[in-house]
Amino acid sequence: MSEGDCLYASEPLLRVRGVSMRFGGLQALEDVSFEVLRGEILALIGPNGAGKSTLLNIIAGALAPTAGETHLRGERLNGLGADQVNARGLVRTFQGAEILRNMSVRDNVVTAGVARCGSGIATGLLGLGRSRRALAALEKEADRHLGTVGLSALAGASASTLGAGQQRLLAIARALATGAELIVLDEPGAGLNATEKGYLAQVISGLRASGKTVLFVEHDLGLVGRLAERIVVLDHGRVIAAGRPDEVRADPKVIEAYLGNTEIVARHGPGAATRNGGTLLGIEHLSVRYDGSLALDDVSVRVAPGEIVALVGANGAGKSTLLKAVAGAVPPEAGHIALDGRDLGPIATADRVALGLSLAPEGRALFGSLSVLDNLIIGRYGRRRAAGLRELLSPSVAEREAERETLELVYGYFPKLRVRSAQAAGTLSGGEGQMLAIGRALMNRPRLLMLDEPSFGLAPQVSREILEALPKLAAGGVAILLVEQNARAALQIASHGYVLVNGRIAAAGRSRDLLDDPEIARTYLGWDGADTPAGASAAEPRLRVVG
Amino acid sequence: MKRIAVLVAVLGAVYFSGNGYLMNLCVVTALFTLPALGLSLLMGYTGQISLGHAAFVGLGAYGSAILCKSLGLNPWLAIPLATATATLAAWAIGWLVFRLRGHHLAMATLAFGIIIHVATVELKGLTGGQDGLSGIPALSFFGYAMNSDAAIFPFAWLVCILGIVLAGNLVHSPAGYAMRAVAESEAVAASIGIAPDRLKRRIMALSGLYAGLGGALYAHYLGYISPGPFDVGFSVRLLLMVALGGFAGIWSVLFGVLFVVMTSELLKPFGNYDVVLYGVLLVVVMVWCPRGLLDGLAMLWRGGMRMWRGAQAAR
Repeated sequence: MSEGDCLYASEPLLRVRGVSMRFGGLQALEDVSFEVLRGEILALIGPNGAGKSTLLNIIAGALAPTAGETHLRGERLNGLGADQVNARGLVRTFQGAEILRNMSVRDNVVTAGVARCGSGIATGLLGLGRSRRALAALEKEADRHLGTVGLSALAGASASTLGAGQQRLLAIARALATGAELIVLDEPGAGLNATEKGYLAQVISGLRASGKTVLFVEHDLGLVGRLAERIVVLDHGRVIAAGRPDEVRADPKVIEAYLGNTEIVARHGPGAATRNGGTLLGIEHLSVRYDGSLALDDVSVRVAPGEIVALVGANGAGKSTLLKAVAGAVPPEAGHIALDGRDLGPIATADRVALGLSLAPEGRALFGSLSVLDNLIIGRYGRRRAAGLRELLSPSVAEREAERETLELVYGYFPKLRVRSAQAAGTLSGGEGQMLAIGRALMNRPRLLMLDEPSFGLAPQVSREILEALPKLAAGGVAILLVEQNARAALQIASHGYVLVNGRIAAAGRSRDLLDDPEIARTYLGWDGADTPAGASAAEPRLRVVG
Repeated sequence: MKRIAVLVAVLGAVYFSGNGYLMNLCVVTALFTLPALGLSLLMGYTGQISLGHAAFVGLGAYGSAILCKSLGLNPWLAIPLATATATLAAWAIGWLVFRLRGHHLAMATLAFGIIIHVATVELKGLTGGQDGLSGIPALSFFGYAMNSDAAIFPFAWLVCILGIVLAGNLVHSPAGYAMRAVAESEAVAASIGIAPDRLKRRIMALSGLYAGLGGALYAHYLGYISPGPFDVGFSVRLLLMVALGGFAGIWSVLFGVLFVVMTSELLKPFGNYDVVLYGVLLVVVMVWCPRGLLDGLAMLWRGGMRMWRGAQAAR
């Protein structure tokens, strides 16, 4: 590389300076600064809730930051709308690919060139050959971009027939058609299998070779390791590390951010519960498929009465899908789910609640305009309705008594809820909101409580408070199936744990053994995925059962 | 092109048959097709609901009538001016209401429709109130007054076919792609450089142009207008015309209009209760034939054939 090349390569294309973002009481981003150099591939990583998507939305003009500035080639971007940002040479893709399903594959790409071709409504109406010529040129260009991503054969097909991997590729072709120099990809690898990811990596490397600059957000650290020349790590809205992949990989702060460093004072110590209490929840050989890609592949999980089982794994590993399958929100492709020996297959979602199954969903899903007390009482509905219509219209003395008792129980676990009982749920802090979500799920007196990312987006001190309450619940007789990104803390309070990687169980056993196993960190973080394009062969040797 | 040739041939046959009733139906169809086309561009292609489209037709009709009667303008000047007024009003309404989405947008456009209707009833000095305006001069072409069905027939269809061709051009041009992108996802449209709000306002204005022109021609064709035809019921009928054609489809709009015009002839004995039937029809089409009545019937036909063949095979 000549000296001139070096100078060219180090010129900043995008500059993010002191960007902060506040949503109500939540500080999503705090003083974030970094640069994207012309011609590089930069990865933006960080655990769930770190603020990556928010940052990306700010850069692309979809959100206005509370403070700070973004500049492209020295020109200020913040304050411009998303379309104007695109006109200045920056294009973004979306987490869900967001292809236009009502159009053909080619038309998706053609549409991306419309803004640049200068053919407006008046030209379109009069159609004086000019709009026809413009369209022909756009179609030719679209075919070239489809060739770049390898979708030429599907150009005429309806976009709605594409698989998950093809949708990502189409989104990239669409981004190329806007002619932007900086391409911002939001989780391009989410939901793809190893082969698709391998191909995606080739396409992204190809973009760089053709003179584009790439900034991408990604959870699959294997893909990041393979592609990125520099990595910026976000955690709790701040940049905690930035640099070359090997530097970032070795940074203890990064490992901590991913695995969690919350030390839990567990009253219900790991391994304390013996597993001879039978099986409350039995999941056998469960497979779930979304849009052609396998989200869960032959997964078996067991939860005994009154125990805490942790389900850990990277984003997109299939943890939430598992909970949804148990709750009945997604249909299984194969396998069985049984509660107390009773097959849940033919039982509708609402009726599963009455059987003693409660889910506190990811993102809490509270009724923001209702009071804390009302939110809790809504949680009782499933059980009350199952007791008959009469119980809804005029609850019996016994039911009213049971509700009051349960309410007292919830207030006992989370005293803050009693203080805030008259306050609107929308005004609660993140931690209190999570307590309310758990409390609402408890109002049904479940035998199995499923928690999806209870520490999501919470400060370490607050997550500790919530996670430390869980063993108390278990001691009260509620079994808990816990999905957590904060793997370390989750395993500290659980008696058993399962590690999910790409929809399969990569390791399972007593949580104490999982915690002590140094290999788990590697498996869980998935850095080693970098050199294994064929995922199946790589996953096999890693599948071990500990303890 | 082939479709236009077929359409012209059919129209020619009607014209030279001299059947007054058929000709009347055809003229009404042509004049209703214009606003329905505008609504299809807005709803079908750009994905923005409007429940007050009759208001723009009313603005065109009353605008042109008042310009002729109060200022004594020639209809040839009054029609473009009234159309421009409706266009401008649509642009301004778009500027106001496109910060809303979904049912909020529907409510706002519905309210606008009601406001304009009430204005035509209450501004008695200008609009004649419930009595309406009569004695609106007919269009005349070198002394040939277009004051009968037969006289206005060629001109009405000339304008209507021009409207169909232009709208067809638009939806197949690059701008048409942008419209479909906005209909499907505004966030995606913005990410590829299409400004959704600006596009929506412009298509709303274009939609108002089609509606206003249809209304203005209607006023000069009948020679008399009253608030009745421009009420919310007419907005619903326009919606039905577009829905019957499956919302997006320039030629299927023509089918929808024809269907509604003919049904309203059949429903005349029911008087004001025809609105009930339109409502039922709209619900049925929206629920069971989201891609239009023809498409729904075709699916039913194919399903029936399959069952019949299955029964044959079983035997």
